[in-house]
Amino acid sequence: MQILRETKLEGLRLAKKIGRAKVLEVLSKKGLVGRGGAGFPIAKKWETSLGVKAKERYVICNADEGEPGTFKDKFILKNNPETMIEGLLIAAYVLKAKRCFIYLRGEYDYLREELEEKISEILKKSKMKISIEIVRGAGAYICGEETAILQSIMGNRGNAMYKPPHPTVEGLWGKPTVINNVETLTCVPQALVYDDWNPDYRLFSISGDVCHPGVYEWELGVKMSTILDTVKPNGKLKAMAFGCFGGIMPVNKNLSVSQNTICKEGCQHGAFSIIFIGEKHNIVDICLSIAKFYTYESCGKCTPCREGTIRLVNLLKKIKSKKADKSDIKLLKEFAEHIQETSLCGLGRSCGNHILTSLKHFKKDYMGYLK
Amino acid sequence: MKIILDGKKVEVDGEKTILEICRGQNIKIPTLCYHKNLFPEARCRLCLVELDGKLVTACSTKVKENSKIITSSKRILKARRRNMELMNPGADIGGLSDDFEAREIYEQVGLGNVRFKSIKNYLSELGAALVRDNNKCINCGRCVQVCEKIQAISAIDFASRAHDEHVTPYNEKHLSEIACIKCGQCLINCPVGAISERSHLKEVVKALNNPRKHVVAQTAPSIRAALGELFDMEPGTLVTGKMVTALRKCGFDKVFDVDLGADITIMEESAELLKRIEKGGPFPMITTCCPAWILMMEHFYPKLIPNMSTCKSPHEMLGMLIKTYYAEKAGIKPKDIVVVSVMPCVAKKFESTRPELNTEVDYVLTTRELGRLIKQKKIDFVNLEEQDFDPTLGIASGAGDIFGNAGGVMEAALRTGYEVATGKRLKKVEFDNLRDFAGIKTGSVKLGGKTIKYACANGGANIRKLLESKDKYHFIEMMVCPGGCVGGGGQPIYFDEDVLKLRSKALYEQDSKKELRRSHENPIVKEIYKKYLGKPLSKKAEKLLHTKYQRRERF
Repeated sequence: MQILRETKLEGLRLAKKIGRAKVLEVLSKKGLVGRGGAGFPIAKKWETSLGVKAKERYVICNADEGEPGTFKDKFILKNNPETMIEGLLIAAYVLKAKRCFIYLRGEYDYLREELEEKISEILKKSKMKISIEIVRGAGAYICGEETAILQSIMGNRGNAMYKPPHPTVEGLWGKPTVINNVETLTCVPQALVYDDWNPDYRLFSISGDVCHPGVYEWELGVKMSTILDTVKPNGKLKAMAFGCFGGIMPVNKNLSVSQNTICKEGCQHGAFSIIFIGEKHNIVDICLSIAKFYTYESCGKCTPCREGTIRLVNLLKKIKSKKADKSDIKLLKEFAEHIQETSLCGLGRSCGNHILTSLKHFKKDYMGYLK
Repeated sequence: MKIILDGKKVEVDGEKTILEICRGQNIKIPTLCYHKNLFPEARCRLCLVELDGKLVTACSTKVKENSKIITSSKRILKARRRNMELMNPGADIGGLSDDFEAREIYEQVGLGNVRFKSIKNYLSELGAALVRDNNKCINCGRCVQVCEKIQAISAIDFASRAHDEHVTPYNEKHLSEIACIKCGQCLINCPVGAISERSHLKEVVKALNNPRKHVVAQTAPSIRAALGELFDMEPGTLVTGKMVTALRKCGFDKVFDVDLGADITIMEESAELLKRIEKGGPFPMITTCCPAWILMMEHFYPKLIPNMSTCKSPHEMLGMLIKTYYAEKAGIKPKDIVVVSVMPCVAKKFESTRPELNTEVDYVLTTRELGRLIKQKKIDFVNLEEQDFDPTLGIASGAGDIFGNAGGVMEAALRTGYEVATGKRLKKVEFDNLRDFAGIKTGSVKLGGKTIKYACANGGANIRKLLESKDKYHFIEMMVCPGGCVGGGGQPIYFDEDVLKLRSKALYEQDSKKELRRSHENPIVKEIYKKYLGKPLSKKAEKLLHTKYQRRERF
C-alpha cells in the first residue's frame, strides 16, 4: 500500500533543503488534495495561511475520525504514525509554526501512549524545537468539524462556528491555523520523497454485509466489481451508504468509483467509507438509525439542526410504525431539504442526505410502510 | 464597495455585515438571536437572505464586491417561516405576551400551521428574584453571552447537545444556589421571556384589596424615565406626575419618593466618607446602592467587605422610615402598613429577602410589573393628569433624582460631601466628567486640603476591570447594570442603547429644573434628622439605616 511507505524523516530533510516555496510547488504539482472529504488542494490551503500576517501560527492534525464506517485514520495511526508525524513537522516547517496539535478522537485513546512515544522519538531525531500536543476529544462527532475542533482545543463548548473567517486566516486564539487530516499529512512526506507517488490512491473503509471488511487502497475510478470481488458480499447486496452523511445509493457493479460518479447520484463520497447493505434490510430502518445518530450528535447551536433532526427521527418512526401517509413523506423531504439549506455547519448541511437519496433511489421501501 | 441590493446598486462599507447594511437602508430583516452589543452567533437562522443565490444568515455574513443580495423572496420567506415553525416560541403557553421582542418577529415572519408538537419538557425554576422556564427558550444564547461578556459573571451556559441543549447553571443547579448576582440582564436580553422576574403582583393586588391595610408605594428614581415606554410613549419621557396619579388610581394610600431615600443615603454615605477621611481609611469606600453589586462582592470579592459602605440601599432606608417615622407621625400601626417598592431592578426582590436587613419593604415590583398593574386596572395612562407625591416623604432634591444614572450616586455624594466638609458652596453642581456614557469614569476633588480620587463603574465587566486598580481611589460607585439603574433588569425591554441615553438624559433634566439640588438642603431630610434620627451616623441612624454583609461561596 502506498500509504504505508515509510520516509524515515527523508521528507523533512528534503523539505528543509528545497525551502518553503519549493515544497508548496512540489505538493501542488503532485496534486495532493485534502483527504477529509472536501478535496481542497493542500498547497493552496498552506499558502492562504502563509499570506496572513501573524506572529504565531498553528497546525492541527485532525484525528477525530468520527464518521460511522470510517476507520482509515486509525489504520494509519496504528501502522504508520511516523510518517504522519513527519508530515506534521513538514507542515510546521513550511508554516513557521511552533505549536502543533493532534486532535485525537476520544475513542482512540488507547493509541495515545504509543503515539506520544513516537512523537518524542521523532522530535528528538528531527532536532526541531516544536511542541506537538495530543488533545483528546470527548467523543462528540461535531468536533471533527474544523471550527468545532478549534473551540474544543481552546477549551470551549465544541460548537461549530460560521465561516468566514476560515481557520486558515483566524483560527486558534485568533491566529492562522491549518487543519489537515491524518491521511493528508501522511501523504505529505510521501509525495515529497517518492517520484512514483500517485495522487489518485485513496483509502477505502469497507464495512457492512461483506465477508472481508477493512481498509483497502484503490485508485480513484476503481470499478465497483473489483471492490466487490475483493471484499466478497455476504448475500445479495441492495445498497451502499457512504458513511452516515454521504447518502445511500444502489450497488451498481459497473460504477467506476470517483467523486464525479458518486455526486451524480446525489451522494457525497466523503472519505470513501462504504457501508454495504444487504437485501434483508429495509432502507427506512437504516435511515432511522442514521437519523438517530444525527439527533444525538448535533451540537444544538442552530435552530434547523437542533429542532429539525429530532423531527426527522419522529417522522421516520411514524413511517416505520405504519401510521404515516403520503403527506408525511412530503414533510420528511421538505424538512430534510430545509435543514440542509439553512444549517450553520457541515453536519447540518449534510444530515438530510441519507433521507433525500434514499427517497430518490428506494422510494418503494417507504411506500411499503405507509398505512 | 458596490453591491446589488434587491436589484439596486448600492455603495456600502465592506466591513459591515449584510444585516447592518440592510438596517442602514431601512430594510427589515427579522432576527431573534442578534443583539447589537453581542457577538453574532447565527443561531436562530431567521435573518436568512440570498447572497449570490445561496441562503446565508445576514447577521454573520459580509459582502464582496458586486455581491448580489436579495432580502425577500418566496424561498427566503419560506425558509424563515420553517425555522420559526421549528422554534415555535410560546408553543406551550398558547402564544407570547406583547412584552417580548419575539412577538413582533413572530408576526413579521408569520407562522402557518405548526406541524410539530412541542417536545420540550423542562421543570421551571422559581427563585426569590428570577423565574426560569426553559420550555419557552429558543436557545438564542443572548443571556449566556450577556452574562459572560458584559456582566462577567458566567452564571449560565449551554449544557447537553442536539435538541436537549438548554441554558442552565452548572450541574442543573438553580440560580438561587449558585453565584448568580440577580442583575436580570439575561432577562432584559431574552426575546421570549424564558427568564422573567419573580412577580409580586398578585400579593400586591391582594394587599390593595384589603381595606385594613395601609398600602404605601415608593418609586425609584429611574422608573419615571422609563415607565412611559410601556404605554408607547417616546423613550426618555418623564412621567413622574402621571405615575403618581396612576398609583393612586391603582389604590395605593400614599405614594412616596425613593429619591428622598436617596437623599438620606447621601447624608449617611457622605458622613461615612468624611469619617473615613478623618480616620484614614479603609479606602476605597464603595457604594452599596446596587443590590446586584453587593451580591457580586459577596460571591467574588468578599475581601472587600470592610471597604463597603454600611448604608442600606435608598428604598430600604425609606421603607424603614415609613414603618417607623411615618407610622409614628401618622399614627398607624407599622404592622398595618404594606410597603411596596417600585424598582427598576430584579435584584431588589432578592434584597428584600435578606434577613440581616430586617427589611420593612414588603413587596418589590419592577417597572414592567407596575405597567402590567396599570394596564390591568384599565387606566388610560397617557392622558392622566399629573399629581405630586405625598409630601410627608415625597420631596426630593435633584441629587436624589440622578441616582438612576451611572455616576449619579457619586455626583450626589460629592455635592453634599464637598459642601459639608469645606463649608463652601459649589458654584456648579454638575460634575460633567461623571455624565458621559462610559463604562468607567474617574476624577478627583479637593476636600479639606486632601485630594480625594473617585471612580464609577457600570456593567459587571467594567466593575471587574476597575477593581484591578481600586487602591488608587478613595471612593468608588458600582452599578452592575450597563448605564446604571436606567438600564436595570426590571426596566421595560429595550433593543437599543440610545434608549438608555434618553432615559438618562431625562433624569439629568429633572435635576437641572429643580431649585433644590443638594441632599443636605432638602427640608424633609432636615426635619427627619432634627425630629427623629438626630444626625447622620447617630446610634438610631446606624440601627435603622445601616447593615452588614456576609461572605458567600462561589460554587
